[in-house]
Formats: sequence, structure tokens, C-alpha cells
Amino acid sequence: MEYRDYYQTLGVKRTATADEIKKVYRRLARKYHPDVSKEPNAEAKFKEVQEAYEVLRDPEKRAAYDQLGNEMKSGQEFRPPPDWASGFEFRGRPSGRADPEADEQFSDFFSSLFGRAGGFAHPGEGRARGGRDHHARVDIDLEEAFHGGVRTLELRRPTHQSDGSVELGTHAVKVTIPAGLTDGQQLRLAGQGEPGQGNGRAGDLYLEVHIRPHDLYHLEGRDVTVTLPLAPWEAALGASVTVPTLGGPVQMRIPEKSRAGQKLRLRGRGLPGDPPGDEYLQLSIALPPADSPKARAFYEQMSRELPFNPRAHLGS
Amino acid sequence: MTSLQRTIETQVLAEGEWLSVTQVCRASQIDVDVVIELAELGLVCPRGDAPQDWQVSARELARLRTAARLIRDLGVNVSGAALAVELLEARHELETRLRVLERCVRASARGE
Repeated sequence: MEYRDYYQTLGVKRTATADEIKKVYRRLARKYHPDVSKEPNAEAKFKEVQEAYEVLRDPEKRAAYDQLGNEMKSGQEFRPPPDWASGFEFRGRPSGRADPEADEQFSDFFSSLFGRAGGFAHPGEGRARGGRDHHARVDIDLEEAFHGGVRTLELRRPTHQSDGSVELGTHAVKVTIPAGLTDGQQLRLAGQGEPGQGNGRAGDLYLEVHIRPHDLYHLEGRDVTVTLPLAPWEAALGASVTVPTLGGPVQMRIPEKSRAGQKLRLRGRGLPGDPPGDEYLQLSIALPPADSPKARAFYEQMSRELPFNPRAHLGS
Repeated sequence: MTSLQRTIETQVLAEGEWLSVTQVCRASQIDVDVVIELAELGLVCPRGDAPQDWQVSARELARLRTAARLIRDLGVNVSGAALAVELLEARHELETRLRVLERCVRASARGE
């Protein structure tokens, strides 16, 4: 596995005080927290920062980590030395913050040095214990959201062995995605979370469904918006045009004297539901290019014969 | 080390579902006191009379989970977390609408 330079991750010297480390962590956590950050790879960086802080904030873990020496670089091949951490005792998380999902996300490097630091019940701690809920995220396309479908998910989950140790296994689950889900909606799969211990009930699996952005359709709730370019005469005189919808192309009437920016609505053509969403056509006017003498002549004629000042309201 | 264990066919439960306070606390990993406070702040609107009978919609569970993460990871206090979740949602909506308008402008320019 690869060595991780936690001091480098936080951008502090090896001699940094606990206070300095805490200050830096707070700033980086704020910068990379996935719920608020716009930085690329925020989630991955946040995990790195959290892991580094987990070690460097705890005097015992930091001391043990420092014992590895300061000559290795991040990414270098690494093996924990024999008799590693003899004399050190690693407690679980001080504030008792039991977050098994966070534990899973620590790197192999961390686990090889510090084991699974708290969060899981130890054998004998209560006979029947309900399994914890798990959370996962699944990304689907807009078409899948419209039609519904079946998805096979592979979930990485810790499984408790009978001797109390924990193994990370892959578990495949087939899930029916109902039609008409909106972005961010949660689905609950009863009993697909962590298995219970003894007679405890298994936890649930919560799936947060996210719909990938689509090139053509813009989704808001159950409504979709499509930008519809029109030729100037189509907008001015009205026209019958074919427009795309999630259920297939549809013929629609553009009223005369339509203007750029106007929204026309096709009722019920969005995502299915109760009530179903609508499709909005956001009109935009596309100019025919003035790239031939004939086209130029048309434009010149328009400028002569159509009195039109689009900047009148600006006082020019 | 991964091992493919088994494939299960499973039916998803109705998405417009309501969850009990116990389920919600477990799913979001926050205490019932915090859930009550967040409800008082208006971040979620549970149905039911007394907190122990409350039901929270699945959609609002997402808001609670975000608030819980902010409290836990960034040390935000409860009222700050409620405000932050609302602002984050507003920001998301604005960005969404902005993308639509920008697309509209680009489409108009395509004729040239």
C-alpha cells in the first residue's frame, strides 16, 4: 500500500502544534466539504483531509505515525514495521461519534496502522442489535427516470464476521427504479442495510437517486425545459414545428408575434407522476447568417422597410 | 478483496413515503432533540402532533442528512445548519436557472 504524508495533506510542518493543526483542518474542511464545495474532487480531498486530521489530532496516533520517520513521500510503497505500535493503545473516536460509513472510507494505509477505530460494536456488546442503515447514491439518465427501469447496484459494505473482525465485501442488489423519480429523491430498501446481530432487525438501505444532466432537456422537479430556436419569420408569423419530448417528437403550434425568452408549455410532457410534470419550450430566435449576397439583400431591405429600434428604452 | 456475494431481486418502496422519527434519527444520525429543533426552525415540516408521533417525508430526510453532515463535519450550530441547507438549495436552483438561460443565449447565437 502507499504511504500518506498527513502533514503534507494539511500543509503543516511536522512541528506544528495541535492548535495550528486544528485551525488548518477547519479551514480545509470548509473548503472541501462536499455539501458546500465547488472545488473539483472535493469529496476525495475532504476524505484525505479528514483522515489526516484523524491521525494528527490524536496525540497517541500522531506519536505512532511520527515513529514511521519523516523520509517517506506520499505514494511510496509502504509496509508497517513489525511490532508496530506496541505500547500504543488506540481508542475509538473520542466524542463517541459512531460513523461506520466514515470508517469504511479510510485508506488501506490508515487501516493497516490503526485498525478500525471505533464505530463497530464489539463482540458480546448486547445480544440482539439492529443493523445500521446504509446509504448509497445511484446516478441515472433522464430517460431512465422517465421510463423507469431495473438497476443492478454493487455496494461495498463491511460485513461482520463471527470472530468480530470486519471484512469489506461487494454485494449486488437489483433495484426497480420507478418511473417519474425526481433528482435527489430517496428510495428505501427495507432490510438491505447492515444485517442485525442476534435477533436484531437488519438496517435499511437508503438510495439517493441523482439524475445526470441531459444535453437537451433541462430538469427542474418533474418539469423539463428545452431551448427551441426559431427562425425570425416563425416567431413573427407563427408556425407549426416538431419539438422533441421525452415520450417522442410532438407537433406544436408557435403563436404569431412570439418573442425570444418566452416560455410555451406542453402540459403533462415532463416526468410522469401525480401530477405529471410539464415540458417548457424556451423560445430563442436564431438569425439566418448573412453569408450570401441574397441574404444580405434581404437584411438591407428589412433595415430600410421595417422601422425597428430595439434600443429605444436605452434612450438612443 | 471483494467477493460478489449474491444478487437479490428487490422491490423498491413507494417514494412518497413517510418515515417515523426513530427511522429518521437513525438514517440521519442525529438526536431527536436536533430533529425537533430543526422542525422548529422550519427546515422540515413533519406531520403529526407530538414529536414521538411525527412523520417526516423521504424528501425532507435528505435535508436532515445534509444538516447533520454540516453540524458534524463543519461544527455548524443547529440554526446555522438550517440556514445553510436553505441557502444551498437556493444556490442550486439559481445555478440551474442560469444554465437554462445561458443555453438559450448560446442557441440564439448559433444562427450566426
